[in-house]
Amino acid sequence: MEEYNFNLPKQTHDIFAVMARGAFISSNGTRDGMNRLYDVINNPENFDRLQAYFNVIRYNIERGNNFFYFSKLHEPNSEIEKKLERFERYIDIIDLFASMDNKIGIGSRFRPSEIAEECNANVRLKQKLQKIPLYRSETLHNKVREICDLMSRDSFLELEDEKTESYKVLDSYTYLLDIINSVAIYEESGSGDDTQGLIYN
Amino acid sequence: MSLQVNVKDLLSNLYHNRGIVELLFGQRDQVTVNELLGRDDITEEQYKKLISLDILFEYENIVSLNDSVVAMFEDFMEIGEVTPGFINDYINELKRHIAFYQEAREMRFLRSIKKYLKRINATLTREIIKLQKNVDDTYKNESNYRIKLQKLEDYREKRDTIIEFIKKTTDIVDETRTLFSITNDSELFGIVTALKASLIENLDFLIEIQTDITDFINKIQFQLDVYKKAQRLKEVKDHGTLHFKTNFREIVQNINTLKHNGHKTPKTKIPIDFLYSDDGHVLCKRISEKYKITRLMVRGLADKMAGNFKDKGLEQQIKLDTEKLVDRFLNQGKQNLFEYLMDYKFPKMIGNVSFEERLSLFVEIAMEYQTQLDFKYRLQYHDYTEGETKKRLGYTLILPMKEKVKKK
Repeated sequence: MEEYNFNLPKQTHDIFAVMARGAFISSNGTRDGMNRLYDVINNPENFDRLQAYFNVIRYNIERGNNFFYFSKLHEPNSEIEKKLERFERYIDIIDLFASMDNKIGIGSRFRPSEIAEECNANVRLKQKLQKIPLYRSETLHNKVREICDLMSRDSFLELEDEKTESYKVLDSYTYLLDIINSVAIYEESGSGDDTQGLIYN
Repeated sequence: MSLQVNVKDLLSNLYHNRGIVELLFGQRDQVTVNELLGRDDITEEQYKKLISLDILFEYENIVSLNDSVVAMFEDFMEIGEVTPGFINDYINELKRHIAFYQEAREMRFLRSIKKYLKRINATLTREIIKLQKNVDDTYKNESNYRIKLQKLEDYREKRDTIIEFIKKTTDIVDETRTLFSITNDSELFGIVTALKASLIENLDFLIEIQTDITDFINKIQFQLDVYKKAQRLKEVKDHGTLHFKTNFREIVQNINTLKHNGHKTPKTKIPIDFLYSDDGHVLCKRISEKYKITRLMVRGLADKMAGNFKDKGLEQQIKLDTEKLVDRFLNQGKQNLFEYLMDYKFPKMIGNVSFEERLSLFVEIAMEYQTQLDFKYRLQYHDYTEGETKKRLGYTLILPMKEKVKKK
């Protein structure tokens, strides 16, 4: 009944179910009608109603470039250590993606085996991949798979085709790029050669 | 050299091999000779013929369609590479014919002028549509970012070329305005008006494309910049100075996504009543499987009802409607109850009513409707065979009440 009072779109429950899980809703996601949900939120009328409605239970819809997510109102952000750990890992992953010959960007499609193969052929990439912590997989391929799986769970990637194991990079990936872009490096940390050497080791 | 002398031959050859043409158009530069000959719809002989007719080409074992054929299809379908060069050719032709017409006012030159004006209009629009499609396609589907950037830059150049052509055309139309008005040709006037309108429209469209291209290039550039930064951050991190030389900690602290703040999905407790429902049972079953609890199966789901259970119910209802049966019996005077039941033709819906069933019906009626029946307390005998043995059954003679008989 309340839904009618608020004049909310009928997908409100689905939107809540996705976003309260901590997931992003991206405009180029196709699973579970994600692009449809995006369109619903993106409609300015709906957006205002949804925002007001969710604000009551202290959820806030945050808008990014072609994606949406939830934040909590009036609640101090916690778990700083865990967060740091996670984002350090994202840096590792994005660094790996950035170092690929064929850079993975928003909207790209790729298969884990492609990445694994490239890593196998390139010593620098191989080391990067192996140094990404937390994964115990033996083969490079499995390790890439785990990364893809993790990124999909965090709704930055989408497993587009299970049979061919093909992933698609969603718009929410911009969020990670924005975070990285906003980090300020205070000073040049040593000369370029020095750091290169460190990576090669 | 080409043996194609007329349109009819060319068309019939293309039509006859339309399967091949479609395949080769769809998979340009991918089909090998063996692959093609492996198909059912072409023989070696036909293949040779097509080669000799210049419809097909073979190069390093790859078969391809004649470029003119491909170009024709692409033109019609408004796909393929943007080729603004054509417009320039048309403009030059247009200029030539205008000069001719100025020299000698002959209809044939005027016809050509009209033709080229129309062509320029159509080609401009088509090229712009192709440009739009290609820009979009490149941004979305080109996976190699260097090629992607290069392609987008190329399209930007092509766009500039097209704009130049539009200006050229506008100039020509303006210059020859007086000439055109002298002709007093209403068709020419219509063509020129349409061309002018579409030139303005196309110019707007090109500006939009320009914005798109710039936007796409910026996006790619942003991504590249961020990637460079990510690599630098990674270096800083590998030095172990991520927390000291950057404001990483601060930034991360301000991150407000639910997931990264340890918010779990809101959980609700399951109501106990729900667990007693069928859905709840399925849930319990799943949990017990997960935790390998085997003793939970107290209450199972009922088996699926037979598909025809409704029909069965119907059958029973008809059988139970003995009252009407009794009424009918009472309204006749020829037979006693036993004979009546034995001979009674039950409705087809009930199907075959066996001897035993008729017998039990007899007993049932005798007990329930005794007040309406006339019991004669006299035995009669009924002979029947069961299997191969002959049997005789004695039964009480029961007739409808006397009054009714008397009335009749």
